[in-house]
Amino acid sequence: MSNVTEADFGRKNASSTPVVEYRDVRKQYGNFTALDGVSARVNRGEVLCLIGPSGSGKSTLLRTTNALEVIDGGQLYFDGHPLPSSKAEIRKVRQRMGMVFQSFELFPHKTVLENITIGPLTVLGISEAEANARARVLLEKVGLTDKADRYPANLSGGQQQRVAIARALAMEPEVMLFDEPTSALDPETIGEVLNVMKRLADEGMTMVVVTHEMSFARRVADWVVVFDHGKIVEQGPPAQIFDAPREDRTRNFLSHLGWNG
Amino acid sequence: MDFDFSPVTDNWRYLATGLGITLLLSILTVVCSLIAGTLIALGRMYGPTWLQKILTFYIDSQRAIPVLVVLVWIYFALPVLTGVNFPPFWAALLALTLHISAYVAEIVRAGISSVRNGQTQAGLVLGMSPRQVLTKIILPQAIIRMLPSIGSIISITIKDTAIAAVIAVPELMKRAETVSGQTFRPMEVFTTIMVVYFLVLFPTTRLIDRLYDRVSYRGRS
Amino acid sequence: MNLDWSVVWQFSGTLAKGAGITILLTIATMAVAVPGGIVLALMRLSPNRVLNWMALCFVEFFRNIPLILLVYWSFYVLPVLSGLTLPPFTTGLVALALNVSAYNSETFRAGINSIRKGQSEAGLALGMSHIEVMRKIVLPQAARRVLPVLASTWVSLFKDTSLVSVIAVGELAHTALEIRSQTFRILEILTAMAVIYWVLGYPQAKLADWIYRKWGVKE
Repeated sequence: MSNVTEADFGRKNASSTPVVEYRDVRKQYGNFTALDGVSARVNRGEVLCLIGPSGSGKSTLLRTTNALEVIDGGQLYFDGHPLPSSKAEIRKVRQRMGMVFQSFELFPHKTVLENITIGPLTVLGISEAEANARARVLLEKVGLTDKADRYPANLSGGQQQRVAIARALAMEPEVMLFDEPTSALDPETIGEVLNVMKRLADEGMTMVVVTHEMSFARRVADWVVVFDHGKIVEQGPPAQIFDAPREDRTRNFLSHLGWNG
Repeated sequence: MDFDFSPVTDNWRYLATGLGITLLLSILTVVCSLIAGTLIALGRMYGPTWLQKILTFYIDSQRAIPVLVVLVWIYFALPVLTGVNFPPFWAALLALTLHISAYVAEIVRAGISSVRNGQTQAGLVLGMSPRQVLTKIILPQAIIRMLPSIGSIISITIKDTAIAAVIAVPELMKRAETVSGQTFRPMEVFTTIMVVYFLVLFPTTRLIDRLYDRVSYRGRS
Repeated sequence: MNLDWSVVWQFSGTLAKGAGITILLTIATMAVAVPGGIVLALMRLSPNRVLNWMALCFVEFFRNIPLILLVYWSFYVLPVLSGLTLPPFTTGLVALALNVSAYNSETFRAGINSIRKGQSEAGLALGMSHIEVMRKIVLPQAARRVLPVLASTWVSLFKDTSLVSVIAVGELAHTALEIRSQTFRILEILTAMAVIYWVLGYPQAKLADWIYRKWGVKE
């Protein structure tokens, strides 16, 4: 699809079709330009972290990926195909992407197990036995086997977010989208969520992560994209972004966060 | 002042069947109003614009007109218009449902809009259709959140069925009137059924509140 | 079907008078039930157990019986209890006021309770007296919660006044039902009655919505 450019040198699976590709993506809210010509690609098996100040457009970009936000200009490719515009086709695409929200958004009227099975049951139409079996495996993966029959209200924030990750994984997605997954968490539960994400990355899951956790980005990301004012300031491997940023704005942003290598 | 409760005790069976009719009319009205009110709310929220306008007008009109007026109009005036006579019980069921479903519609609408947007998105990103999101995610939570309001709808309905006495539905209120008129003991008769109504209504609302306390966490997202 | 709408014009003066009494009854009831509700709410909030319990019983009882029954009860029982023959209007007023006071008391109580304790503590910490704290801090905030509910109670009350027609208070519903039995112009008169209620009630309902939007506290 797209040629390997200098910037992609050394990236994972750089020569094959990217899972997601943004080309000159634009998004406008009235007079406010949320995305001002953003181009980036997410390769298979890669963990891509989007960082930058609040309101810089990184969450908006993430949300265009599965058409929660519809772009006003540019192109968006998923697995080499332009993102469809028909609602039915969008649903098909969404089934192949998992998403984790800042505020968890577990379904409060469903138990933990039901939260994980509801997607496969209603959308994929698999049998209840199979959905349950799949859910049990995922619960084990996120370390919550004993909470299967609890309701979300009885879980801590970190536990809820781990269930939300399992819920998204239950659809067996090709890419996982994380929208500030730890921003609403108490400090002591952030680690357990990041650990689950790290393990997922180690298993080779393609991930796009909007985050303020710089040490996570430094440690886990294969590629880091820095946002400011709806534009990409700089992108590159974490070693470049965190240790030798080429742009002043990257340096400023990192130093505001107290990052000093 | 001397009291004589024998009119009540002598006619207890007559009054008790009246209570039965009160409860039957209440239950049917609540069930019909919940169904009709939900449909009205869905039509008002998701229907085409012309339907939304009509339903909004309908709801606001029912909020403006007394239930007594709806009752007597349905019972006395509608037959003139249509030539079809409803028995009092069915006229009351129709009139009460017309009136109360408008209130239910408002409650359902408030319940649905109170479920925050993130829940819809969480359903959509799983690939659900808008209809699946509504029926599997939004409505179940909205219903739990609506429980206290549904409790007051039940209470209002039971109280409003007493107004059906004016079109001679033989429910508790009407029968109390009859007994008191025949025995000239209105004080004892009305005081007694006032207590009876209280004993029905008070535990009903309490029960719903208790139920809500037990399940409210399932509606909190 | 032969309809004769002229009957509505013929009795328009009588109907207008009935509508006037409906409005008067609504205003008079609120005039009694607002102070009534405040007194009951203060009783409910008082540390005195007896006052508290009396108010609780009053409120729960009158909220949990049908209003039409209360109207009948007042009509038959009040004269016996008080030894006075009360005109129907007064009897209706008493029944409505008992009912609405009970509701208003809950409205006021919820309004006062909704103000966090920190708010009055902040006032006290500034050196205000308890009365000043009540007047300057608690009540203005409570008003924002109370006003929208009072407005919707008002609309309900306006409609509920129709129930006193059963004891021959000459308000709109009773007047219309009387004309109906005199003229047998059932459809015309009952429709006219519904339309008059609608014309009066619709703007009130809309106004209540507006007050709720403007003043209502969203949480």
